[in-house]
Amino acid sequence: MLVPMTKVHLIGHRRRLQPTLAALQGLSAMQLIDVTKDASVTLPPLSADDAQLGEIEELRYLIARLDAAFALSSHPPQPSSSVVDLGEIRVEIDAAAPELEDLSRATDELEAELETLPRHLQSLKRLLPLVPELTELESYDTDAVVLDARHSSVLGDLNAALDHLLSGNFEILAGQVDADSVGAVIVTPKRARREVQELLGRQQVNRVRLPPRYESARFRDAVTLMERRLVDLPVEIDTLHDRINAAIEPHEAWAAARVQARERLDQLIAMGHLGATAHTFVIAGWVPVTKLEDVRRAIAAIGEGEVVLELVPIDDADEPPVLMENRRPARPFEALVSLLSAPRYGSLDPTTLMMIFLPLFFGMMLGDIVYGGLLMVGALYLRHRFRVSSPSVSEFARVFVLAAGWAIVWGIVYGELLGDLGHRWFGLEPLWINREEALEPLLIFAVAVGVAHVSLGLLLGVWSAMRRHDRKRLSNSIGTLLALAGLLLVVGVAMGQVPSGFMTPAVATVVVGLVLMIALEGPMGLLTGPLELMGTVGNVLSYLRIAAIGIASVYLARVANELGALGPVWIGVIVAALFHTLNLALGTFSPAIQALRLHYVEFFGKFYEGGGTAFQPFGSLERKG
Amino acid sequence: MEIGLIAIGAGLAIGLAAIATGYAQARIGSAGIGALAEKPELTGRVILLIALPETLVILGFAVAAMIILLLGG
Repeated sequence: MLVPMTKVHLIGHRRRLQPTLAALQGLSAMQLIDVTKDASVTLPPLSADDAQLGEIEELRYLIARLDAAFALSSHPPQPSSSVVDLGEIRVEIDAAAPELEDLSRATDELEAELETLPRHLQSLKRLLPLVPELTELESYDTDAVVLDARHSSVLGDLNAALDHLLSGNFEILAGQVDADSVGAVIVTPKRARREVQELLGRQQVNRVRLPPRYESARFRDAVTLMERRLVDLPVEIDTLHDRINAAIEPHEAWAAARVQARERLDQLIAMGHLGATAHTFVIAGWVPVTKLEDVRRAIAAIGEGEVVLELVPIDDADEPPVLMENRRPARPFEALVSLLSAPRYGSLDPTTLMMIFLPLFFGMMLGDIVYGGLLMVGALYLRHRFRVSSPSVSEFARVFVLAAGWAIVWGIVYGELLGDLGHRWFGLEPLWINREEALEPLLIFAVAVGVAHVSLGLLLGVWSAMRRHDRKRLSNSIGTLLALAGLLLVVGVAMGQVPSGFMTPAVATVVVGLVLMIALEGPMGLLTGPLELMGTVGNVLSYLRIAAIGIASVYLARVANELGALGPVWIGVIVAALFHTLNLALGTFSPAIQALRLHYVEFFGKFYEGGGTAFQPFGSLERKG
Repeated sequence: MEIGLIAIGAGLAIGLAAIATGYAQARIGSAGIGALAEKPELTGRVILLIALPETLVILGFAVAAMIILLLGG
């Protein structure tokens, strides 16, 4: 459900402004309204003076430095509850900064080396078979080049140029190093170093460049040194990380300072939203009715009668924020509803309905005892694993626990255990529909689910329109319901399931429904009414995906079982396990997306009013950080 | 009617609908991902838009099922 909101004004003496803001911040129960956008407040906004603007800048700088320091550490300290002196923290940060910067730079360099070294090593190793014993001579230099195989003719030109320069006192050893590249090792006398480098530059040949540390080493030695370095680097990086953690972790006061600085910054920014005269202030805001008494008590604690809370009537121009508050099992579904768009204030919150139908549809599509069981184990593991480290993930896993539960139930209904394996091995029989064979009942069932769900959406649309006294929507929703019911009767008569005497009333119902859909829409209604009815029929048929996805899943499982039975037992088990894993992955992803879509498009389209803005109380931001 | 022709008909009904859905989803998907790069808060609406053309393949499935059920006996 959506929590009703109250619009309040807090009015008091300017000297009580700070304690009032601090109390509201601690309570985190009121979303401030910018007085420049609120017609009910006639006071001018409180503009910040130079000192406050300076403080805002300083606080932002301090927060940025603390954030940067904590980002370096893998174990940032937890804030202590004590109040700290922000000036002292600034001095401490300034003192610690040079060491932290050095450590951070050194870590970055080592991490970059760890990333690039394997590439150098790979180039060198490819060239190693070409390196002659000659390179061991002290008076010779070795240059290595790797060329694209298409440009290997460059080596011929290089050979001629070197011959001209060194009169044959050199050696080029070339060879294919892989499918696309040719490598060459060029051995030249050390005394002609400069001329050779110039020549290589003129020929536009790129040498294999080594990091400076290995440039003076011999070819083979460089490979050995690099291999040794690759072993040492992770240890050195870990040591540096430990030193960074040791430099940051003990500073609980820094973490407390970050929270304190954010709170103060939030207060200073909030002041720009208030109305004030020389002696009084007005804070306008939204408070959930469930929190109103808490706000009253907090205000009273500042000083009896010094700050007054006034309830303000909500007018049509106001757009109250939206706070969804559902029972615990439904809470993870709030995020799924908001993924589309938060519901508009005063409209219907479909979270509980989504909690009922989304897992049900998922189960109808997956419908397998073992798949459901495996998914249940996975979801329960996620719930347990992230209970502390990431409560939101843990809560969200609840969606899959429910979905897996329904998948097991529908698995029993369809008699499926790893597809048809339950039937083959244990003689498991379906309680109701065998999805492999009974296509027609399955399709009828899927359409029936669609009729029920879309009709529920239309009924909610009727209720919602009645609450808002929206005659146009009311007429449209009732008309669509009637036309849909009439169409169903017509189909029933055509299929011989309903006595033929119902044909005339059925057609009459469709006509009445269409007239209601068109009536209040004006001339355009003649076009939109029939189109909308066709759209609703399309919505109902869209539920056929429940059958379609299910059939695809059951046939994939059957393919897995039949492939598994082809070869020797151990190969069969591996093949079947691979296919079933693939099917489980597909069978988890696809029904989840399809069930969501059925809600967003087919169901919500009939009643949902989105476009709301989420309630964001003053004081909630710095707590999140 | 020849069972093979019925099967080809059913296959064409769902196959052509699937191609149409894939084409529409590819166009919407690329535009949607572009929009998400600018406004991540549109995730829900983009999923919805990408999912919309799937009705085509579901209708193709319905036609294929009807071909098999009505003609295949």
